[in-house]
Amino acid sequence: MNEKKSNRLNQALSARGVRSVVTAVIGFLILFVVFAVASPSFRSGNNIQNLLRQIAPTLIIGIGQGYVLITGNIDLSIGSVVGMSCMTAGTMMTKGVNPVLACLLTVLLALLVGFVNGTLVAKMKLPSFIATLGTMTLARGLAQLVNNNHNTDFIGNDAQAFRDLFYYGEFAKLYSAVWIAVILWVVFNFLLSKTRTGRHIYAVGSNLDAARLSGINEYRTILITYVVSAFCACVTGLILLASAGMGTMDAGGTYEMYAVAACVIGGISTLGGTGILAGVIAGAGIWGILQNGLQFVGAPVALRNIIIGIIVILAVMMDVVARSSRKKIKKA
Amino acid sequence: MNEYIVEMENINKSFSGVPVLKNVRFTLKAGEVMALLGENGAGKSTLMKILSGVYVRDSGTMKIFGEEQGDLDTKKAQELGVAIIHQELNMCRHLTVAENIFLGREVRKGVTLNNREMVKRTQEVLDSLKIDLSPNTVVGDLPVSKQQMVEIAKALSVHAKILIMDEPTSALSSKEIDELFRLVDQLRSEGCGIVYISHRMEELSHVANRVTVMRDGEFIMEGNFADYTMDQLIAKMVGRDIKEKFPRVQCQRGEKILEVKNLNAGRMVRDVSFDLYAGEIVGIAGLVGAGRTETTRAIFGIDPKDSGEIVLDGKSVSIKKPIDAIKAGIVLTPEDRKRDGLCTKLGVRENLSIPNLDWLSNGIGKVNQKKEREIADKVVEELQIKLSSVEINAESLSGGNQQKVVIGKWLARNSRVIMFDEPTRGVDVGAKVEIYNLMNRLKQQGTGVLFVSSELPEILGISDRILVMCDGHLTGELPVAEATEDKILSYATAFESKI
Repeated sequence: MNEKKSNRLNQALSARGVRSVVTAVIGFLILFVVFAVASPSFRSGNNIQNLLRQIAPTLIIGIGQGYVLITGNIDLSIGSVVGMSCMTAGTMMTKGVNPVLACLLTVLLALLVGFVNGTLVAKMKLPSFIATLGTMTLARGLAQLVNNNHNTDFIGNDAQAFRDLFYYGEFAKLYSAVWIAVILWVVFNFLLSKTRTGRHIYAVGSNLDAARLSGINEYRTILITYVVSAFCACVTGLILLASAGMGTMDAGGTYEMYAVAACVIGGISTLGGTGILAGVIAGAGIWGILQNGLQFVGAPVALRNIIIGIIVILAVMMDVVARSSRKKIKKA
Repeated sequence: MNEYIVEMENINKSFSGVPVLKNVRFTLKAGEVMALLGENGAGKSTLMKILSGVYVRDSGTMKIFGEEQGDLDTKKAQELGVAIIHQELNMCRHLTVAENIFLGREVRKGVTLNNREMVKRTQEVLDSLKIDLSPNTVVGDLPVSKQQMVEIAKALSVHAKILIMDEPTSALSSKEIDELFRLVDQLRSEGCGIVYISHRMEELSHVANRVTVMRDGEFIMEGNFADYTMDQLIAKMVGRDIKEKFPRVQCQRGEKILEVKNLNAGRMVRDVSFDLYAGEIVGIAGLVGAGRTETTRAIFGIDPKDSGEIVLDGKSVSIKKPIDAIKAGIVLTPEDRKRDGLCTKLGVRENLSIPNLDWLSNGIGKVNQKKEREIADKVVEELQIKLSSVEINAESLSGGNQQKVVIGKWLARNSRVIMFDEPTRGVDVGAKVEIYNLMNRLKQQGTGVLFVSSELPEILGISDRILVMCDGHLTGELPVAEATEDKILSYATAFESKI
């Protein structure tokens, strides 16, 4: 009976690479305790609120990147889509367009980028790294074009409701940006783990040929992941706009790398086929806690970057080591 | 039970202008096993991909269950009851058994997946096939043979009436093959029509009712399997008589070349000791997982050795990495040629010179291209590798010719010992004989030849001495004159019978 139980536990840990998610969650908790002990101001309720709001954008783009990574592809364009969305919505709002309409049009534009990415990768069979490198530059160009190579002015008091909705509002002690992240996570986690589309996303990343021969439409599947990814980037762009109150052309620069880091730390393999979105929470959490916590213990920005870089490498290394040692155990 | 369930006539198919199927005919009845024979490149797989909807034919008629079919796609073929088990395993290794079996036709409750139902139905399929597996196991955690079983279960779970098996036994041990045959019998008696493609002629006589032979994209014959001898069928496949399936040359045994003393490497190689003499071929037999491949890997320096000594021409050599072995003159042609033997995206010339660049290049590392080409031409001629140019990609060659390239890259160095790991796997009959001839030639030249194979007939047919492994240990040694399949199998299962 006991053996059966441990067998079942093993199966559960093996499926989707849940093992690495467990590691990431433990890492997150350890970091949290360490900083909480080291710095009283870190553990203050106020800072926890801030910390969560800091994590939210990374989590949101991480969700999108996670979708794409699980199919075995990558989306480098999301950082630029953040900037493009921020600038497009911002420009429209300064020109007096109704904020709701501005947001809708911005979402449409971002979805178009996702559509282009998906088509290039799934239909034209371009390597995703190259295809999205192209759209990354292109979207950044659009961000600059939209307001004639200038950042926008203050989006104005008309847009205060928009700013509250996306960033400053508070409900049940949590800022609205955090609520947006929670809602998106719940929706996209449901789609990925409970629906047929989600299953197909894993199948395509695990073995494209097998998926195709089982009658899965790989174009549709990959397209969906890029559209989700672009949508998440767009929402992140709107959050940044709400936060700053103005559109900046270089908003979201290198965010694509934050997203990859959050995913990889959270156990989503860049080779595709494994990982779950709970991992992205842990990954984005570790990311945010390091940024925030190191600041409280007085570490300079340069040191923070170095430490975070090392953590990313360690996370991947741990995954590789764990995988090869499991193989050895299995052989024995 | 005797009506035709598949009738294909005058099937034509070209790929970018090159015809691969020319007016091919193929039929299948309910409740029979149809063996489909032909060398690599004869068009068997293409024909079966047309039947299963992966490819669309250019012209010809195709009736399934008496009804003419237009352009099939995989989904439509599945609905008609056509299932195919592909030669290469097509599993999503990150997904579980149940997830793989229901891939592409998931059971849903509203918009969400109904996992409980899928697990339950998977368990039913596995039970009916008497496969002992949990539906929740991740496929990548299973050994290849079990993955193969899952693939079969997947095909059957769609209630296939027409089952195509493309080389289903190439990764199975003999015990598992028996299990597979039991499945085939069960399905046949349930009225399933089965197309069975295999290069292992011996096993066909256990299962086949009828046979269709193809050659160079053309239909050659069909008939009752029992009406023909093996040799007749082989002659039809290759278009000429093969006088000897296992050509043997007699040689005087020379001096001792290689001595392996008490080799230990991990769990799969334990206290292995043997000698290898000039002028003989030593075969290593055993079941899958007996440690044969691991032994060659340890000798070649791919896997670390825990202890033991390798003596070459009377001198102890230290081999820590493959380059040490290559420099000493011990080389290996690996089991999985596509993964371990070839750089598939490189040309044949480049593949042939990879291990020889040390002596093909000058002091500053510039490769002597003239010499490189000379070597390539020489090897291609010597091994009769069929290709249009030595510059074409290795991956575009047929299995037999790829294998010759893998072997060829070692011939340019005068190696003392060549270890062949399953050199004829997935290679057609004609090319098999050429590989045996090559091993014989090496034996005559005084090169030590070590020959790992899972096919007992070829081990018995080619080796002069046979070593048998079981569970990492060397459990028996037989001169070929005394060896029989039964004796080898009893050594190969030495530990199982004790337990």
